[in-house]
Amino acid sequence: MEKEPMFSAKILKLFTDPINKGNPITVLILGICSALAVTVKLEPALVMAVSVTIVTGFASFIVSILRNTIPNRIRIIVQLVVVAALVILVDQILRAYAYDVSKQLSVFVGLIITNCIIMGRIEAFALGNKPWPSLVDGLGNGAGYGLILVIVAFFRELLGSGTVLGFQVVPESWYMKNGGFYENNGLMILPPMALIIVGLIIWIQRSFNKQLIEK
Amino acid sequence: MNRNSNTYTFLYATILVVVVAAALSVAALGLKGPQEKNIEIEKKLSILSSVGKDRGVKEAASKNDFVETAYGKYIVESFVVDGNGNRKEGDAFRIDIAEEYNKIKAVITAKEEDKQSLRAQLTLPVFVCKEDDGAVKYIIPVRGVGLWGPIWGYLSLNDDFNTIFGAVFDHKGETPGLGAEIATKAFSGQFTGKKIFDGEVLTAVKVVKGGAPKGDLHAVDAISGGTITSNSVTDMLRDCLEQYKAFFLNGKLKIEN
Amino acid sequence: MENIISIFVKSVFIDNMIFAFFLGMCSFIAVSKTVKTAVGLGIAVIFVLGITLPVNYLLNKYLLTPGCLAWISPGLADVDLSFLSFIIFIAVIASITQLVEMVVEKFAPALYSSLGIFLPLIAVNCAILGGSLFMQERGYANLGEAVSFALGSGTGWFLAIVGIAAIREKLKYSNVPAPLRGVGITFIITGLMGIAFMCFMGIKL
Repeated sequence: MEKEPMFSAKILKLFTDPINKGNPITVLILGICSALAVTVKLEPALVMAVSVTIVTGFASFIVSILRNTIPNRIRIIVQLVVVAALVILVDQILRAYAYDVSKQLSVFVGLIITNCIIMGRIEAFALGNKPWPSLVDGLGNGAGYGLILVIVAFFRELLGSGTVLGFQVVPESWYMKNGGFYENNGLMILPPMALIIVGLIIWIQRSFNKQLIEK
Repeated sequence: MNRNSNTYTFLYATILVVVVAAALSVAALGLKGPQEKNIEIEKKLSILSSVGKDRGVKEAASKNDFVETAYGKYIVESFVVDGNGNRKEGDAFRIDIAEEYNKIKAVITAKEEDKQSLRAQLTLPVFVCKEDDGAVKYIIPVRGVGLWGPIWGYLSLNDDFNTIFGAVFDHKGETPGLGAEIATKAFSGQFTGKKIFDGEVLTAVKVVKGGAPKGDLHAVDAISGGTITSNSVTDMLRDCLEQYKAFFLNGKLKIEN
Repeated sequence: MENIISIFVKSVFIDNMIFAFFLGMCSFIAVSKTVKTAVGLGIAVIFVLGITLPVNYLLNKYLLTPGCLAWISPGLADVDLSFLSFIIFIAVIASITQLVEMVVEKFAPALYSSLGIFLPLIAVNCAILGGSLFMQERGYANLGEAVSFALGSGTGWFLAIVGIAAIREKLKYSNVPAPLRGVGITFIITGLMGIAFMCFMGIKL
C-alpha cells in the first residue's frame, strides 16, 4: 500500500471542508448547544473556539487509535469518557492559567462534552479512519465551528457593547450620554440575538452556495 | 480475544477507568496550586478595590505580585465578629461567605426571640485597611441573590463606622449590559460618601429606580433596565449590614461619646 | 414549599433551557419537524432529567463537593473530588439512559415504541448534562429543589420544542426565501420565540 504524504490534498480538504461547505454549525446543525451562550463577548468565544477545536481534534485522535479495541456494547460510554477526560483537562488548565475567562465560560466548558460535533465526528469519521486523518478532521471541524462562534461574537460585541475584544471601537463622543447620536443595541447582548445572527449567516452562506439550499 | 465477550468488555472498562482516573488526578493535583492562588488573588483584589487600592493593577507586570504586595501593605488586620458585635476566634480570610449568607438568611426569617442566639452563631469577617496617611477603613463582605444567580461585593467604611468609603460589586451571571453593570465603577462609585446610619437607625443604602433624590445620603441611582438586580443590591446591603449593625454601633457610640 | 414552586416556574419560563441557554439545540432543531415526534422527545427529556438530576445531586452532595467525604470517615475530609464531576455526571447520564431504555423496553413495550428511539439521542443532549451542571453551580439546598429544577427545566424544554414544531408545521405553507428555508428560518424563529419568552423575565418570584 502506498503511504500517503502527511499533507496531501485529501488531508487538507479534510481540514478546509468543514470551514465552509461542511460547516458543522450552519450546514450540519451540530454543536450549537453549548456555544451560543458564550458569544456575548469576543474573548470567551475565542477561548471556547480553541477549547472545542483542541478537544475535537484529540478526542478523534484518541478514539481512532483505540478504534479496533473498543467493545461494541460500551462504545458510546468509552467515547464519552475520552471526551469528558479531555474536557476536564481543558477546564482545569483554564482555571489555573486563564481564571477570568474560565469564570465567564462557567458551565459551558463542561458542556463541551455534549457538544454534538465531537461525538458526531467520532462516530462518523474517527471510528473508521486512521489517527492522523482523524486528528485533522477533528481540528477542521473545530475550526469551522469556532469560525461561526467568532463571527457571531464579533457582531454581538461590536453592536451590543461598542467594543471589540474589550477595546472601545465606537468613539465615546458618539454616545447619546455624551451628546452624540449613538446608543448600543441592548438587544444584541440578549440570548435570542445569537440565534437570529446564526440564521442570517446561514442565509448569506446559502445564497452563495446554492447546492446547500433545502427543499 | 472476542471483542464482544463480557470479560473483555468488563476488563476494558476497568482499565479505561483506572487510566483516566489516574491521568486526571495527576493533572488536578498538579494544577491545584495555581487554581487556589487565582481564587485567593481574586478575593484579595476585590478587598483592595473596595478601598481603591487596585489602581495600577492592570499596568502591573505581575498581577499576583502587585496584589500580594498591596494587600500586605494596606490590609493590616482582619478579625471575626458575630451578629451581636462580639469578637470571635477565626481566620477572617478563610470564611466562606456563601455559607455565611445561608446563616444570615436563617437569621432574617427566624422568629424575633430566636434571632439573638442565631446571630451569635454568625462568623462575620472584618478587614482593616490602614492608608498611607494613617486613616483606618473597615472592609466587610456583602452577598445576596440577583436575578440569575448570586451577587456579592465588599464595602469599606470610614472609621466613623457610618460613611461609606468605597464599594465593589460582582455577580455570577446578571444580564450583560443591564444587571451586570453593578460590577462597573460607574455604579459602585456612587456609594462613596453615603451613610449607613441615621442616628442609631440602620438605613443602609437604597438603590432607587429612576434616580435617587439629590442630596439623599442613603440612596444611589439604580441601573436603567436592571431593576431586579438593583433591588437585589438594596436587599443585599440591608440584610448584610443588619448583621454587622451591633458591631458598627458599638464602634460608632464609642467615638461619639 | 414556596421555594420549590418558584424554582419550577422560574426554570420553565425564565431560565428556559432553550431560549435562555441554548441547551439541547441540536435535537431541538433536528427533531422539531412534526409535533408528534416533538412531543415524544419532549417527554423523554423531562423523564431523563427527572431521574438523572436527583441522582447527580446526591452524588455531588455526598461524593464530589470538597470535604464532603467526611461522612465516610473524618480522615477523608480533605479529599476534593470535584474535578471528577464532569465525568461522573456524564457517566451517570449515559448509563441511566441505557438502563431506562432497557427497563422501558422490557416492561412497557408500548411506551418504548413511542419513546424508545429518542432515549439514545438523549445521552448526548446538552440539556441533560447542562441541568446537572447548573444544579452543581447554583447549589440547590435540598433534594426537593433539585427535583423541582429538573422537572421545570424539562417542562420548559418540552414547551419550547412543541411550540417550534407547531410553528414549523404551519411554516410549510409559507413562501420563505429559498436560502433561508429549513434550518435558517428555524433559527430565526427560535430567536423570536426567545424574545417573546423574555417578557417573563421581570416576574419576581
